[in-house]
Amino acid sequence: MTKLRTERLTRAFLGLVAVNDVSFSMEEGEILGIIGPNGAGKTTFINLVSGIIMPSSGKVEYKGRDISYMPAHERARLGIARTYQLIHPLENLSLIENVMVGSIFAKGNGLKTARAKAEEVCASLGLTGLDRDTSKLTILEIKKMEIARALANEPEVLFLDEVMAGLNSDETRELIAQVQAIARERKLAVGVVEHVMGVIKELTHRVIVLEAGELIAEGPYEEVSKNPRVIEAYLGGAA
Amino acid sequence: MNRNLARVVATLLGALAVVLPALAGAYPLQVARNVMLYMALAITWDMLLRSGQISFGIAGLFGLGAYASILGVIRAGMPAWASIPFAAAFSALAALLIGYLILRLRGMYFSIVTLALAEIFRIVIHNLHDFTGGPEGIVAPAGVIFGGSASGLYWLALVGLAVALGASIWFEKSKFHFALTAIRDNEIAASSSGVDIFRWLLATFVITSGIQGLLGGIFVQSYGFATPDSVFSADFTLLPLAMALLGGIHGTVGPIMGAVLLGVASEWLKLQMPYGHLVVYGIIIIIVILFMPRGLYGLARKMARPAEGRAE
Repeated sequence: MTKLRTERLTRAFLGLVAVNDVSFSMEEGEILGIIGPNGAGKTTFINLVSGIIMPSSGKVEYKGRDISYMPAHERARLGIARTYQLIHPLENLSLIENVMVGSIFAKGNGLKTARAKAEEVCASLGLTGLDRDTSKLTILEIKKMEIARALANEPEVLFLDEVMAGLNSDETRELIAQVQAIARERKLAVGVVEHVMGVIKELTHRVIVLEAGELIAEGPYEEVSKNPRVIEAYLGGAA
Repeated sequence: MNRNLARVVATLLGALAVVLPALAGAYPLQVARNVMLYMALAITWDMLLRSGQISFGIAGLFGLGAYASILGVIRAGMPAWASIPFAAAFSALAALLIGYLILRLRGMYFSIVTLALAEIFRIVIHNLHDFTGGPEGIVAPAGVIFGGSASGLYWLALVGLAVALGASIWFEKSKFHFALTAIRDNEIAASSSGVDIFRWLLATFVITSGIQGLLGGIFVQSYGFATPDSVFSADFTLLPLAMALLGGIHGTVGPIMGAVLLGVASEWLKLQMPYGHLVVYGIIIIIVILFMPRGLYGLARKMARPAEGRAE
């Protein structure tokens, strides 16, 4: 079942077209890689589908419903959640309270229910010491907390924007396994932006490749990584 | 341990507030009334501040409530007691309309617009001479509420404080705590977690402004008259702000501490050097912002924290 699709989605900032005419779809249970060189428009693309910015033209559909101009908080309630490339901890709330926010506002749960649900999500990511201040957390714990906060929305579509960046290889392996388990259990459609190709290869079923805002290739990682246009985009044009 | 101590202090303060009229004369009661009024205003200012929005509009909504109350009595024939909740409703309604327009602004832009509110209302009331009494003000023919009884006025002020306190504690224990803190920390993260930022800010602005209007009503009925220059005085913005900053922001306890300290100190200073107390306020604001941005309560908690660590 198609959870999310875009149709000719475009966003221009003054003259710069950051996302240009991108059409794609995400299916239930699918982990989709979103790759491309720096400045290709990956984060802008996630900002568009999660409602942080609005499109210049084109369409975003969630389960068949047009949500192109719906504000972010309403999309969060519908079932679209995300994390951020630059971490966004709520530093005046504790770890567990950060996670509760998603449950309280995206699901409309009372504080007690929200706490129970947040504890569950934290457990699935192996987070402990839940009443700590965010200033006391390691970078891995902050990344997990942000994933937990997104999961507390009880989303059907989840975007992870470079969550593995800054983690060592053991931590990366741990997080990959957890993300896979959670996606399977919750039948999530997950969109993953990563620069480390090993992560993309291991984690995703399929990738889309953006370059200068355009979608230039689509398919399983093994296939796409041999595509000459993709190689050129990453390595630069052959002189 | 620490929580028990706080409970004991709160109970003692509450008991003191209740028995004070039986023990104290008219002058200490009037000082207490003043302290309670500013304390309540400081609390409401802090409630909105918990979302990161710095309002300079306290005097505006306070003064609006004051005029709604006294005009309700004089022009609409309301009983004095009924004009006080009416003042709250009037300021809340005004805040709903104003908030709808200005709560899309952030930071300095929001603050500056709120700073203009008191001035706008003051000028409007100046100019609606026939209805409002104009610059000379307006006097309630029936005089002060409760016939000016010192203990009656004290109880009325205590009710005003109780409303502000109750609302603030409710904010700390409810979804407001999560919504406002998330908005203050990171609006983008908040909206991604489903927080309707505008709606929560509007609700907070309406509730705090309503309480400020209520306090304006209590204030004006305690004197039996209003002039634009007295009820829209910048004092009603600056003193609560200084109290909350001194005591500590983002919670109920700080503004209470600040109001007791500054309120009592200013009574004393007023006797020593009339008008000079404002200089002291200014100096306090500067020192607090520079050296203890979390106020006295924040400082106390910081000093208490190592002890807590050992206990665990």
